[in-house]
Amino acid sequence: MERNAVNREIPSRIDGYGSTDGRLFEGAFARKPSGYRAGAKIRAAIPNGSSKLSGSVKEAVMASGLKSGMTISFHHHLRNGDYIVNSVIQACSELGIGDLTIFPTALFDVHKAIIPHIKSGVVSRIMGSDNGAIGRLVSEGGLDSPVVLRSHGGRPRAVISGDVHIDVAFIAAPMVDRMGNISGRSGKSACGSIGYAFTDAQYADVVVAVTDNLHGYPISPISIPGIYVDLIAETESIGDPAGIVSGTTRVTRDPMRLLIAKYASRLIESSPYFMDGISFQTGAGGIPLAVTAFMKEAMKRRDIRGSFGLGGITGFFVDLMKEGLLQKLLDVQSFDLDAVSSIESDPNHIEISADWYANPWNCGAAVNMLDIVVLGATEVDVNFNANVNTEADGMLLHGIGGHQDTAAGAKLSIIAQPLLRGRIPCVVDRVHTITTPGEVIDAVVTEFGVTINPRRKDLLNAWSDFTYARDIPLVSIDELAERAGRMSGPMEPIRAADRVVAVVEWRDGTVIDTVRQLEK
Amino acid sequence: MDLNNPKTAQAGTLESMDCVVTITGPEKNGVIEITGSASARFETVMKKVINETLDGLGAREPVRVHVQDNGAMDIVLGARVEAAYKRYIGEFTR
Repeated sequence: MERNAVNREIPSRIDGYGSTDGRLFEGAFARKPSGYRAGAKIRAAIPNGSSKLSGSVKEAVMASGLKSGMTISFHHHLRNGDYIVNSVIQACSELGIGDLTIFPTALFDVHKAIIPHIKSGVVSRIMGSDNGAIGRLVSEGGLDSPVVLRSHGGRPRAVISGDVHIDVAFIAAPMVDRMGNISGRSGKSACGSIGYAFTDAQYADVVVAVTDNLHGYPISPISIPGIYVDLIAETESIGDPAGIVSGTTRVTRDPMRLLIAKYASRLIESSPYFMDGISFQTGAGGIPLAVTAFMKEAMKRRDIRGSFGLGGITGFFVDLMKEGLLQKLLDVQSFDLDAVSSIESDPNHIEISADWYANPWNCGAAVNMLDIVVLGATEVDVNFNANVNTEADGMLLHGIGGHQDTAAGAKLSIIAQPLLRGRIPCVVDRVHTITTPGEVIDAVVTEFGVTINPRRKDLLNAWSDFTYARDIPLVSIDELAERAGRMSGPMEPIRAADRVVAVVEWRDGTVIDTVRQLEK
Repeated sequence: MDLNNPKTAQAGTLESMDCVVTITGPEKNGVIEITGSASARFETVMKKVINETLDGLGAREPVRVHVQDNGAMDIVLGARVEAAYKRYIGEFTR
């Protein structure tokens, strides 16, 4: 057992994960890359050779050479509408393939169909975000090996640096031609950007595109070129459109959340970054969307023109671009119908890979160009460490997403959330799980005001000149934690066992925290 | 105590920071059941509030108290228990 730089005790060896020697979190920017990129097997499609069309998902699994014990990857652009993970695992089960490591970008409730295959040993290990039912299973100790959680940037870093080798990548392809050129932009299962799948396509030994929309050669525009793609499987439908994109994403109407969003927007407006060329990322949650709405109003009022919006893109960002308040959108995941139709038609709405978006070990990650990010968290502690992975009861229910990457990259990272969620305090003395270290969180905004990380002396010193935040209380993090504790009353400790059920990696591949099994 | 003639009364909503309290009785022994988001971390305090509220109302007959919690603070929980109990004994009607 050793303590890492955020003072968490990490076992020197974690069963099913390996030695943590030399892999303890040392600081947000401490670990530097060395060596060379890993690579995929070289293969060639022969001129006039056999077709890539391999029939059904099951036939494609057979043709791919997938064997027991291998690692297979998936991406989550079809979100809670995805049929691919379930159908591939079902096919593996029927073919007697087991002991698989699955490496999805994220799993959703729809994937609870694979739970029987976890219990029967078809799937023995998961490296990826687990939202909902599978997270619950993991927390209760339902997997033999711990889940490995990586951020959107940490995942491609792990692939490119060789931490993870993908044997077979399955790519949900809303549109594909006979040579395997893939696009997510149109078709009945259109999902817009397929940015998370790019690195998998480049670094897997075998790449299978699964489609319900096959075209003649070539399609345009092409997102993932067929030069990486070995096989094409056809299926009636790759996903349920209702689960793939939401029709509308709504701004919160809760007055308290609106107040928090207003405070956050005023903080941004007062900051030195609020000027022509400003770039920002706000997620699809209720408060971040409201921050976007308030910022839009502020940008218009003060005649500020931004440069780009980043991340998971919503119709809100599309509107900002249409109104000339942002010049470009960099999109790794299109959240709603407006975003999907915008990326299809507007060349300024640019599809980017997860590597390009957020990988700490490349030469041009978009997060490094980010001025502002507005994030949420289940809890933040007095050292500004944020937890986005476990709920108040200690249950693993969320992935990291781009939380670590954007917080590390942005000039001003803001966590905007109510002080209490229900009765549960969101500012505490010690978070149950550290996802993102306090050294990269600059401010916490609650209904009680703005709290600035003391590390940001520049912002604290400038606070009295923050014209647009003049009526907003400036409160310390200790005050917040104390107030939250007073309101909620004393909490009972989470009853966790010693066994590690999930390893939370910092984006550079070091272990920032572990999640322990819950006692029943 | 007529165990063959059970009664049920309810108070509260499932809005955030509220709870639904259902009181059923009579029971042989008093029972408190709590489900919901905060139950894992506040069970002891919540049980204390429920018992104190019932005691304060002079409740003698053992009842089953079921709380479906959505983050209620003590003061809300106490008020919901009081309303449910008063409905249960017929002091309030819906």
